[in-house]
Order: sequence, then structure tokens, then C-alpha cells
Amino acid sequence: MPDCLPRREDQAIRDACRTFTQVLRSDLKFEGLFQFVPESLFAAIPLLNPDNPNFEDWKSIGTKVLVVTRADLAGNDLSVEARVHFVDSGQAMLTKRYSGRADNPRSFAHQLSDDIMALTQYRGVARTRIAFASDRDSTKEKRTKELYIVDYDGFNPRRVTVNNSLNILPAWRPDGQALAYVSYRQDRSPLIFLAEIFAGRSRANISGEPSGSQAFAPAWSPDGKRVVFASTRAGNMEIFSANADGTQVRRLTNSAASDTAPCFSPTGQEIAFTSNRTGTPQVYLMDDEGLNLRRLTTVGNYNDAPAWNPSKQYSEIAFTARIEGGFEVAVIDLATRQVRQITEGRGSCEYPAWAPNGRHLVFSCNRGGIWQIGVAARDGREVNSLATGPGNNVQPDWGP
Amino acid sequence: MKKSFALLVILALAACGGTKRPPVVATSAGGASGSGSHGTTAPPPEVVSEGPDIRAVDGSGLGQEALSDESGEGGPLADIHFDYDQSSLTDEARATLERHATWIGAHAGLRISVEGHCDDRGTVEYNLALGEQRARSAYDYLVSLGVPRDRLNTVSYGKERPVDFGVSEAAWARNRRAHFAVSR
Repeated sequence: MPDCLPRREDQAIRDACRTFTQVLRSDLKFEGLFQFVPESLFAAIPLLNPDNPNFEDWKSIGTKVLVVTRADLAGNDLSVEARVHFVDSGQAMLTKRYSGRADNPRSFAHQLSDDIMALTQYRGVARTRIAFASDRDSTKEKRTKELYIVDYDGFNPRRVTVNNSLNILPAWRPDGQALAYVSYRQDRSPLIFLAEIFAGRSRANISGEPSGSQAFAPAWSPDGKRVVFASTRAGNMEIFSANADGTQVRRLTNSAASDTAPCFSPTGQEIAFTSNRTGTPQVYLMDDEGLNLRRLTTVGNYNDAPAWNPSKQYSEIAFTARIEGGFEVAVIDLATRQVRQITEGRGSCEYPAWAPNGRHLVFSCNRGGIWQIGVAARDGREVNSLATGPGNNVQPDWGP
Repeated sequence: MKKSFALLVILALAACGGTKRPPVVATSAGGASGSGSHGTTAPPPEVVSEGPDIRAVDGSGLGQEALSDESGEGGPLADIHFDYDQSSLTDEARATLERHATWIGAHAGLRISVEGHCDDRGTVEYNLALGEQRARSAYDYLVSLGVPRDRLNTVSYGKERPVDFGVSEAAWARNRRAHFAVSR
């Protein structure tokens, strides 16, 4: 992937090109599907002719796919032309021209990265966002948390809630337009709210809790029509599901223990959740009517926070496990029941959520007393922390 | 001035009742107890505000919405504490709750939000469940002592509202608590 080439000699275009190239490389590297020809090898071949690349040159340094990009600027309008070639055949797999405002060249690169990913069997994540809770606008005395969203790479943090209360457990509606979350702002009692973040609308108590009842841990069905959550309306904490407007409530669990942290399977027909009915928290599975209950986790005495891989390609559930006194993110394969540990030696890590394509995980780790968002590939490689900004950043959810 | 004197009298009654009356253990729907069930003789107000569990309410706050801060440690009803990963009441917690029940009985019109809190050595969601179990343990015991259900509610804060940010046994022990937020 050679650098983006400016159409004209102009510092502003050069700068935009540099950002574009950096972001596109980092987006495509993140996806983990491509090997990059080292840039140091580019010097061994003649300079790229963007209009008519010499594919033999590129083949000689091991290139299979060549991404040629050129940028131009007219006033405040940036345009980027991209061509993706199969080097073997010289065929252009993708030819596109992107234009828009020049202030955020990152978004041009994200768009192209996703278009390149669309040539594979996976959906790209470059334009996805992560929601999380943070105390960055709080003080130790206030102990409030607000919700924020950032681009998947940690850039562009934006605050969602502004109510000086405790706002936690954000869950993206599958259309990416709204977050369900728990807020203590009404009568200091935890209820599920809906924030339509781009429309700027908010709805309170979407699970329809009666007075005095608390609701926690909302999660969406894959079609975005139903919400599954924990509620104390029956006395102790049980799992319920309801339409997103609080109608058609269905009780799914019935035990004297606490049942919480539910999530849907990618088909929407099964639900994973946490229960301490055996005395320790463990992950259980049931169908969406609460039947066919069975225990999933059998190793360890503390397993919580199941997150079902949303891709039907991978049949697995991420969760938080207590391992040797600390907490780690792990994944259990539903067919073999094999558990693989994702995090290790990063302090205490918990609360996994999947990228929409199921190829990465996001979670939160406490290292040295500060909670930061972490990201890892689903096979446990490339564990990195995400620079999302100041404060303790927890409870991430990865949106579409 | 007159108002705060009246309050002190009530507090004195409460403290007195706590020592005389054995706890009612029968579980009922509540409503049996109330502010009228105490004696009518007023002991001297000096008895008040003694002891670690019951502190005199600042009378100036009575007209306001909240009498003790949400998820803090202060207020007229002292926190109770729990063992690690446990929601069952210790003997000490029961004794404290018995005094609380008497105080609540003597203060008609006040509502008590029973908050369950955890130390931060667990996961977010399970701690919210554990916090609810702790609040529920305290709630159930208060109800068994005759406090009407309609004066109580439970709220779990999990590990979200520690009173001590330290990393030590002492800090964790302080955070594993039920707090009683009193409001009108």
C-alpha cells in the first residue's frame, strides 16, 4: 500500500494525504486479514505511476493487492480517488472516488477501509463506534459516570449523557442509532433509558418498571425489536425480555438467586446470562422463552458478563472469569466447551463485548488503579489499550 | 429552634424504644409498626445523639428533599457492613438494623432508600446483583422488624459508588455496605 499521492503540489493536500495513508494502513492492519509489503521494499522498484502501475514491479516485491490513492483539495472539499488492483491480473477490484469536507480525512480512510473489507467475507469495523461509561467529567466526591462514544480506534470522543448522575452499562441498538443504558437519574433508582444519540431524544424506563423496581443490564435482540434485561420487579433479580417500548414483557427466569447480565445469541433464539443459583456466579444458557436451561461455565468459581459472538460463523461466548485471583476476559467455544484466555498480565480485565463482525473484542482493564478500554483480536492476539481519553473508562459496547 | 427540639425528643424516644422493645421477628406485609406505637413520655433530650449508630439529624435539613446523601456514609442511620462476597447479615448488622427499625418507626413520613454497595474486587454486573442482595437482606430484616414496606425501597449501586477509593482490606470492608438514604 503506497502512500496517497497529492494531485497537486500543495501542503494542505500533502497533509491530508499523510493522515489518510496512516489511518488507512492502521485500519487495514487492525482487521488482521492482510499482510503488508514492507514500505522499505518500495525503494527497490521504480516510483509508482498511479495512472498506469507497472504490476511486474509490484509483483517482484511480493505484492498481491495494490491500493493506489490520490487526493485533491478544492476549497474545503477533499476528494480521494482509490483504486485497488489484483497485481497478478492487473484487474481493478475497486475504483471509487470519495469527496467531502476536508476537516476529517480520517473518515475518508475509514470509508475506503470498509470498502476494501467488503471485498472479503467480513464486514469492516473502520466506521464503527464504541460506547462506554467514564468518570472523566466527575470528581471523587460526585462519583458520577456519563456515557461517551468514540470511533473504534479511540478517536473523536463525544459525550452522550449530561445529567450528573450515574449512567452505566450502555448497549447499542443494532441499528447504531440509539443506546439503551442504566441511569440512576430518576428517583435515584436504576432504570433503563434509551438515548437516540443522533436525534438527541431520550426515553426513560423503557422496560416499564413499576415504582420501586430496578432494572439493569439491557441487551438487544439482533433485530433490535426486543430488549432483555434484569429486573427486581418480582422481588429478587430475574431476567425479563420486552419490546423496546416496554410492552409484551416476558419473564424468563425464576430462581431465588440473582439472575443478570443477559444477552441474545446471533439468531435471537437463545439467551446467555449470569446466575449465582449454585452459590457462585456462573454463565447459563436458555432459549428466548426461558426454557431449555443449562449451565455453560463449569471451570472456576466466578464467571460473569457473557457476550455472544454476533457472527454466526463463530459459535462462542466471551465472558469474564476469575483466574488465579484476578479477572480475565475469556472465550468459550460452544461446540467443544474449550475455553481460551484472551487477556493476561494486564491487571484485572472484564466486561467483554464483540465487534459487529465478531473478529475483535473490547473490554475494560484496571491497571495501576486506572480503568482503560482494551481491544483484542478474537484469537487473543494483538491485545492493545485504546486511548479513549482521561478518567476511568469502563463497560464498553461495540456498535455497528 | 422549636422544630429541632421536637426532633430531639423524637430521637430520644427512638433510642429508648430500641432498648426496651425486642425485635419483632415475624415476617408480615408490614404496616404494623408506626410512629404512634411508642410511649408518650418524653425523656430528657440529652440522651440523644449518643452512640455510633444514631446521630442527631440536622433540623435545618428537614424541609429538604434528602436528609442524608445518596450513597455516602453520613445520615441518621449508620451503614451496615458485609463479609466479602456475602449478602447475609452479621450479628452486628442485625443489631444496627434493630436500632434503625426503631428510629424509622419513630419518624413517620420519612422514606428510606436501602442502598447495597460492594467493594471493587468483582465484576460490574455481578456486583450489581450482589449489591441488590445486600440491600434486600437489610430491607427484609427491617420489614421483619415491622417497618412498613411502603417506606422502604432498595437500590443497588454495585461497585459504582465506593466511599473509600483505597486498595486495602480496610477500604474494601468499608465499601461492602448497605447505606440508608433518608428522604421525605
